[in-house]
Amino acid sequence: MDFYLGLIQIIGVHTLLGLSAYCVLHTGQVSLAQAGFFAVGAYVAGMLTVLAHWPIVPALLVAGVVAGSLACAVGFPALRVKGLMLVVATAAFGEAVRLFFFNFNYQLERGGFHIGPHGGEGFRQIRYFPEYGWSTLEVAAFIWVVVVLTMAALWWMDRSRAGAVLRAVGEDEVAAQSSGINVTVVKVSAMTVGGVIAGIGGGIFAHYTTHIEHIQFGIVLATFAVAYPILGGLSNVFGTLIAVIFIQGFLIEGLRFMGDWRNLLFGGLIVLAMNVRPRGLIDAGTITLVKRLVFRSKERASA
Amino acid sequence: MDFLDLIDALQSLADGVLFGATYALLGIGFTLIFGVMHKINLSFAAASIGAAYASLLILAGVKAPPALVFLAAAGCGGVIGGLVYLIGFRFIPLANPLATLMSTVGLLLLIDEIIVHTTAGVPLNYPALFSDVIIRAGPFNLRGDLMFVFLLGCLCMVLLLMLLYRTRLGLATRAMSQQPVAAELCGISNTKVNILTFVTTGIVGGIAGAMIGAAIGMLSPLLSLPLTVKGLIVTVIGGLGSIPGAIIAGLLVGGLENLFQYWRGVSERDLYIMLLLFVFLVFRPGGLFAPATARD
Amino acid sequence: MLELQGLTKHFGGVRAVEKVDLSVAQGEILGLIGPNGSGKSTIVNLICGLFPLTDGRVLLHGTDISDLPPHARVTLGIARTFQNIRLFGQLTVWQNLWVAQNSGEQFGQENFLRRWLGGSRRARGEIDRTLEFFDLAHKSDELAANLAFGEQRRLEFARALAAKPSLVLLDEPAAGMNAEEIDQLDRRIRMLRDDGVTILLIEHHVELVMSVADRIAVLNFGQKIAEGAPADVQANPLVREAYLGTATAA
Repeated sequence: MDFYLGLIQIIGVHTLLGLSAYCVLHTGQVSLAQAGFFAVGAYVAGMLTVLAHWPIVPALLVAGVVAGSLACAVGFPALRVKGLMLVVATAAFGEAVRLFFFNFNYQLERGGFHIGPHGGEGFRQIRYFPEYGWSTLEVAAFIWVVVVLTMAALWWMDRSRAGAVLRAVGEDEVAAQSSGINVTVVKVSAMTVGGVIAGIGGGIFAHYTTHIEHIQFGIVLATFAVAYPILGGLSNVFGTLIAVIFIQGFLIEGLRFMGDWRNLLFGGLIVLAMNVRPRGLIDAGTITLVKRLVFRSKERASA
Repeated sequence: MDFLDLIDALQSLADGVLFGATYALLGIGFTLIFGVMHKINLSFAAASIGAAYASLLILAGVKAPPALVFLAAAGCGGVIGGLVYLIGFRFIPLANPLATLMSTVGLLLLIDEIIVHTTAGVPLNYPALFSDVIIRAGPFNLRGDLMFVFLLGCLCMVLLLMLLYRTRLGLATRAMSQQPVAAELCGISNTKVNILTFVTTGIVGGIAGAMIGAAIGMLSPLLSLPLTVKGLIVTVIGGLGSIPGAIIAGLLVGGLENLFQYWRGVSERDLYIMLLLFVFLVFRPGGLFAPATARD
Repeated sequence: MLELQGLTKHFGGVRAVEKVDLSVAQGEILGLIGPNGSGKSTIVNLICGLFPLTDGRVLLHGTDISDLPPHARVTLGIARTFQNIRLFGQLTVWQNLWVAQNSGEQFGQENFLRRWLGGSRRARGEIDRTLEFFDLAHKSDELAANLAFGEQRRLEFARALAAKPSLVLLDEPAAGMNAEEIDQLDRRIRMLRDDGVTILLIEHHVELVMSVADRIAVLNFGQKIAEGAPADVQANPLVREAYLGTATAA
């Protein structure tokens, strides 16, 4: 049972990470900085609960705000460049954040123990949940409350004019400018929202693993963050969720019996998926199809 | 800083510049594909390491001379390059840049995992040439293997530039990178040029992979991600699509990297390379040699 | 209302636009014609702020807007269409208009959040009227990329109007259209003018310009060579020369 709860926690946190890239991708920007914001969130939230004894919720909120402000600050210079340049710039930023934590030491002494981030050894003993007696189930439930709230907020955004504007900027920046949209503000806002979500996700991640170190926040995690929404499709938030379940649940956990072949299959399936469904697993066509099916069954029911 | 420190710093700078030839080749690979297709091939560095691995495995039985291993790496690189195009680009609509980006990420993971799977993740020793030669120049020592890597890199670049500027294939490639539709109307097959570009860059990548193996003395799948990042940084600092830019940026990054390692240690080294990149992005977002901006 | 003073744009050594003075009066339809490469589209891009000026000024209602970014100019009432259609292809037809609608609002303005984060219902009525006008209402939920060519041209025009501009720049709106579609376009341009919208029409299709424009300006090699009523411009020998070339006299 605990195995499945653990898996549910992983899926929840990775969904948050994927959603943080989802809103940035809407504006046509591939950001590999999400793992960096995630790392900032993880360290900030961890330090607040461990060193300053904050409760978890405000710690997560502050983690989100800090990561979001960082994303906003990075957004202005980084969004001057596009396409490949942006991929490289954000990847480099993410790596810089990781290397910062690799060299980051801030330890306090508590009852003979040293606690806090300790450079390459990482940040151990983020034991908020066990200390306050949260069960695995409660932690999983907490994570999913945050995930559902985030998904609902993004779902709402998608259907509002803000969502249409984000997509418009992603489609054609010149046309968007010429329709009166301040492209810089829109892109930086998307980046900031993405940073906040990643920061909260990182904060949760730090607390359920209880031990974080720089290597976890590398370029691989950054790639996963953008892989989820691209693989799932950008037409709505469920694409990201389904891609996370597909990758974390099916490919990584479900195929564990295949041993080392699993990893081979992993890369191969991503390539295959992009060949077969270049606009993601769930694209606009899928939604129309689902709508049609629903309508048809309603018609049949009424007939 | 006293005199001896200065000597040591210059020594590490020189070693770095020599090793930088490999970064330059990687940068050229990224830049060429970007120039022709306006697409990023994130699997390029992994494919290069893969080619070097393949050359070792093919010649594992026979006691091959290192030169043959290098040739085999180039050949394998070409084959892998062609395969990367077929699997990761050929059947994916190019109008959707995210799809090919993702497919090359998939390929990167796939190639890495194939390497781990076939070698059980154990680093392999790679043959080096002239590793026992050390050239003394005043207070400096130039390592023979690094000199060899550097010269081989330069030779590759010269051959590549000749290919691009002296042959019909090069002409077609350049035409395609400037006006794909017009080039096609002139009877240049888009697919053919693309596949040839991938094979060419694959060969360059294979050589780069072999050079990296020779310079470090071993191969490991752990190399591919850092090399991807370094290659991309070189591409951006050099200016997208610019081959001379990639060469200079490669040598620059190689040299500075070693210098920072000397001054600040290996754990902080890359931090300064990232800072260098940001400096470029802020003050010269087009890179060293930005291509002329189009009118529309 | 719009005034161009000594408008100049060089691309490297190419003098795309050279010291053009032009003014558009409130409520008129000004046609801008000229052979290929004479700088017509560049002028549109300069008025919209897509390129920085090399020299000269752009004035709107007497204020200098030369340094404003493109989106700010839309807020002031200048909207445009593109010669090579640039729609938001993966958005539906009506979302294309929704994006452009009330784009000028500032943060902190009344209803700011509701306009950005509110649902679609509030915006719908006005957009539906515009779509009706362009005969696109039945395609309202279609993706813009799936429209036929003529429909895409109309949608471009509709999107420009969604920003409620006082001046519309139409960059070759008739390109690729058949005779019937051009007739409809002609009719729509006139109706807009009657509604008080000022129009700068850049067009290759001389017949359309001659029929609909109040005044016409002619460009050649980046310079204005003639300006006046359609009939005068037609009779101008310089214009004939520009279009037919001097060599044809033989």
